Amino acid sequence: MLVSDTLAQAFAAINTQRLRTGLIILAMSIGVASVNMLISLGESARRYIVHEFESLGTHLVIVLPGRTETTGGPPPLFGETPRDLTLDDAQALSRSPHIAAIAPLTIGLAPVSASGLERETNIFGATHALRRVRHLTMAQGHFLSASDDSTGSAVCVIGQKIREQLFDRQPPLGQWLRINDRRFRVIGVLAAEGESIGVDFDEMVIIPVIQAQALFNTHSLFRILVESKSATAMTQASADIRNIIKQRHEGEDDITLITQDSVVNTFDKILSAITLAVASIAGISLAVAGILVMNVMLVSVSQRTAEIGLLKALGASKMQLHGLFLTEAALLSIAGAIVGVVLGELAIATLQALYPSFPLTLPAWALISSIAVALLTGLLSGWLPAGKAARLNPVAALAKR
Amino acid sequence: MRPTDLALFSLRTVSSQKLRSSLTTLGLVIGIAAVVILTSIGRGLHRFVLAEFTQFGTHLASVTPGKKTTFGLSGATISTVRPLSIADAIGLSKLESIAAAVPVVQGNARIEAGQKQRRTNVLGVGASVPEVWKIKTAQGRFLPSGESNTPRAFAVLGHQLAAQLFNQANPLGQRIRIGNDRFRVIGVMEKKGQMLGFDMDDTIYIPAAKALELFDRESLMQIDLLYKSNNSAASVVKAIKKTLIARHGLEDFSIITQNQMLEKMDSILSILTLAVAALGSISLLVGAVGILTIMTIAVSERISEIGLQRALGANRQTIFWLFLSEALALSTAGGIAGVATGIVAIKAIDAAIPALPVQLAWSYIGAAFIAAIIIGAISGVAPAMKAARLEPLEALRTE
Repeated sequence: MLVSDTLAQAFAAINTQRLRTGLIILAMSIGVASVNMLISLGESARRYIVHEFESLGTHLVIVLPGRTETTGGPPPLFGETPRDLTLDDAQALSRSPHIAAIAPLTIGLAPVSASGLERETNIFGATHALRRVRHLTMAQGHFLSASDDSTGSAVCVIGQKIREQLFDRQPPLGQWLRINDRRFRVIGVLAAEGESIGVDFDEMVIIPVIQAQALFNTHSLFRILVESKSATAMTQASADIRNIIKQRHEGEDDITLITQDSVVNTFDKILSAITLAVASIAGISLAVAGILVMNVMLVSVSQRTAEIGLLKALGASKMQLHGLFLTEAALLSIAGAIVGVVLGELAIATLQALYPSFPLTLPAWALISSIAVALLTGLLSGWLPAGKAARLNPVAALAKR
Repeated sequence: MRPTDLALFSLRTVSSQKLRSSLTTLGLVIGIAAVVILTSIGRGLHRFVLAEFTQFGTHLASVTPGKKTTFGLSGATISTVRPLSIADAIGLSKLESIAAAVPVVQGNARIEAGQKQRRTNVLGVGASVPEVWKIKTAQGRFLPSGESNTPRAFAVLGHQLAAQLFNQANPLGQRIRIGNDRFRVIGVMEKKGQMLGFDMDDTIYIPAAKALELFDRESLMQIDLLYKSNNSAASVVKAIKKTLIARHGLEDFSIITQNQMLEKMDSILSILTLAVAALGSISLLVGAVGILTIMTIAVSERISEIGLQRALGANRQTIFWLFLSEALALSTAGGIAGVATGIVAIKAIDAAIPALPVQLAWSYIGAAFIAAIIIGAISGVAPAMKAARLEPLEALRTE
C-alpha cells in the first residue's frame, strides 16, 4: 500500500463522517487556540517587561545605601541608614576606569506651584548624567548641564504632565516654578515617556541634586545609578564600586548593588515560569481532546469491523491496518491543530486591535510545538484503537456482519 | 414512561458501552478536577494572604506623610518636605477613639555585640508595639512607655537576631552598638516569621526618637494606629484628619485603614481565583464537545432501535427524554467523579506539601458540578432532538 493510498483511504473514511469529524476538530482547535493565545499573552508580557527594564539604560548598576544579611529577603530598597551615601561617594566612583557615567539621585515629595496652580509631585534631584543613563529625550529646552551640577543653580526640568497642569497654554521655558519655599526656573521639558517600572517621568520635576538636598534637608542620596563602559566591564565596575565605597566608609561594606541584568533575568525567569504554567493548564484541554479522539476512533473501529475483515481477507497486513487507523487519527488532530492555530491568530489579532499599545506576538516555537503536541496526542490516542483494529480476526470480523 | 424506568433504561445503555462511556466521562472528569484543584489552590492563597494582613488585627489605620504615593508606597519612604513628627503620634494617641499609636521609622544598620556583628533591619517604634502589632516579648519587656520624646537608649531584639548575636547566652542587660550609638538590650521578641517579605525576627526595635537621631531624619515614615473596636473606620479617619489638619494647618498626609487595604487585596485575589477557574474551564468546554460527539454517534448507531421503540408505541417525547437522560447520566457521572478526584487530589497536595496553602473552594466546586450537568443537558439536546425527529418506518428500514 502506497503512502498516498493510505492517506487517501484515511481521508475518505474521515470525509464520510462530516459531523463527527467537525466536532473532533472543534474540540482539538479549542485546546490549541487557547494554548496559543495564552502563550502569546505571557510571552508578550515577558518581552514588554524585559524591554522596559532594558530601556532603563544599558549596563546599569544601581547602588543603594544599606545592606542586610537576612537571607532570602528583598534588598533594602527603602529605609534609612546611619551612614549615608553622599555626593562625595558618588564622585569618588569616577576613579574606576570601568565606569562610564555616574548619576546620583535624591527623591522626594513636595508641592510645586506656578501661577496660582499647585499640586504635589515627585522631585528628582539629579545631575546632567541622568539624561545619558536613563536615555531621556527633551521636548523643549535643554537638560541640566554640568555647571548646574557644580553650582547648584536654581533651575528645573519638568515632565509633560506637569507642564500641562501648571502651564496649560503658556510657554513654560523661562517661567518660575515654586517648589515648597524655593523658586526654580524651568529650562526644559521632557518628551512624553509614559510610566516605566513605576517611575513616571511625565509627573516629575528634576532639579540639581545639590538643590534637592537643601530642599529636603538631607545630605544622603537615595540611589546612585552607574553606567559601566560595556557589558563585560560590569562585574569589574561592581567590584570597584564596592571597594571605593568601603574605603570611604572606614572599611565597612554597607551598600547593596543591583545589576540590571540580574533584575532582568529574575523577571525573565518568573514570567517564563508563569507563561509555562498557564499554558500547561490550558494544555490539559488537549489531553481531553485526545481522549475524545481515542473514543471516536474506538467507535469507528467497532463500526467498521466488517470493512476491516474484508481488508484482511484481501491480504492487508496488521501493519497496514495499524497505519491506516493511525493516519486517520493523525489527520484529525492535524486538522484540529490548524483550525486551532487560525482561531488563536484571530483571537490575538482581535486583542491587538482592542489594545494597540501592548504589542502581542506569538513566538514560532509556540506555533510549532502546539501543532506537534496536537499531532502527538492524536497519534497516542489513535494507538489503542488502531491496535484493536489490527488484531481483529478476519473470519470473525467478516462473520459478524 | 415513568421517570424511574427512564433513569434505569439510560443507565443500562450507558453501562452497556463501558469503555466508551468511561472515556467520555474521563474527559469531563479531567476538566472538573482541574477546576476544583486550581480554584482550591487559588482560594488557599487568598486565605493565606488575608491572614498575613489580618494577623495584626483589623482595627488598624496608618498615616503617612505626603498626599501622593510613589512606587506604590507612600512618600514616607523617601524624603518629604512635610514631615510627620513624634509629637503628631503622641497627639493622635490622645484621641478618644484611638487605643494606641506607634510611630515608625525603618532603616538598616550594623549591630555589634561583643565580637559579633550583623547588618540588619532597624525599626524605630513606640511602646505600644506589642498591643498594635500583636507580637509578644519572649524575654524581658518591650520599650517603656511615657518617654517618646526623650527615650533612654534601650533596644529589643527580634528572635533570630538574638540567636545570631548572643547564641545561647542571655542577652538581657547586655550592651550593644547600633551604628555608632550604644544601646542596652531589655527584651527579646517571640518568633514571628516573615511578614509579607519583611523578616520580623531579624529585626531590632529601638525608640523612634533614637532612630530619627541615628538616621539623621526629621520625619517618621508612618504612624500605625489601633482604634477602639466600637468606632467605625470612617469616624476614626475623620477624627485623625481633624487632629492632624489642626496641627499642620493643611492636609499633607494620607490615611489608609486596614479595611480599605483588605478590600483591595480581597478583590484582586478573587479575580485571580476566577481567572484560574476560567483557565480550567477550557478543558470543561472540550469535554462538553466530547459528550456532544459521543451522543451524536450513539443516535446514528441506534437508529434501528429507535425505529423499533417508535413502532412499539413510544412517542417522540419519550425518545427525546431517553437520549437526553443518557447524556445527563454521562455528565452527572463525570461531575461526581471529577469533584471526587479533585477533592482527593487537594487532600493529597495538602498532605504532601503542607507549605502550599489550599482550601476547598466549595462555591467553585458547586459551580463546576452544576456546569457539568448543564453541559450534559446542552450537548444532549441536539442529538436527542435528532433522534426524536426520526420517522419510525425509515428508521426500521435502515437495517
